Amino acid sequence: MAQKNVLVMINRPPYGSIYYTEGLRAAVGVTSGVDENRVTVAYLGDGVHFALTGVDRKDTDKYLGTLKKQGARLVVQKESLKERGIKEEEVGEGFEILPIKEIFLLLQGADFTMDF
Amino acid sequence: MGNLYLINKEYGENGLNLASQDKEAIVVLLHDGVYISPKLYPSKAKIYAIKQDVEKRGLSGKLSAKYMVAFSLPKHVEYIDYYRLVDLIAENKVINFA
Repeated sequence: MAQKNVLVMINRPPYGSIYYTEGLRAAVGVTSGVDENRVTVAYLGDGVHFALTGVDRKDTDKYLGTLKKQGARLVVQKESLKERGIKEEEVGEGFEILPIKEIFLLLQGADFTMDF
Repeated sequence: MGNLYLINKEYGENGLNLASQDKEAIVVLLHDGVYISPKLYPSKAKIYAIKQDVEKRGLSGKLSAKYMVAFSLPKHVEYIDYYRLVDLIAENKVINFA
């Protein structure tokens, strides 16, 4: 199996369910293994709340660290931030803020997508 | 072969936002996705809705007329059954929001 591009989309906010950690765990899983697949994690809609600086990341730090080492990108939808009154400077380090046009290009370039 | 967006209600709006960027988007509203406001439908996309999911919820035209509920899906939405959905899934790249 050749190397693949995978887009993991996280649509739910942190701490209301397990999806925000499971999405990151799946993203780490995608990068492991012989094929070293490339993964991008995209936070959409209410999922963007996870990018806030003040979020407690005790239970996700290990995933975020692994993904950073693997060169995975963490992107946050710009329009969703605006709709929720979140200022860009309130977004934590390591997150790229992208408009939906650019997130759609990531979607087009993905071989597979997963949603959480 | 296009991008097939499977849309349920909980975060289907995120999918419809992405589909509105996509000139060849194919959207399927399923389960509670049939409740999503038609205002959010991407203007260029081909929109399908699962027939059983629409009828069970009393959203098909004739039902709503009988109960005087002015709530039915727009005319351009095509109703399909799950067999047709399976064909669509096999023919396209699935982007799941359901």
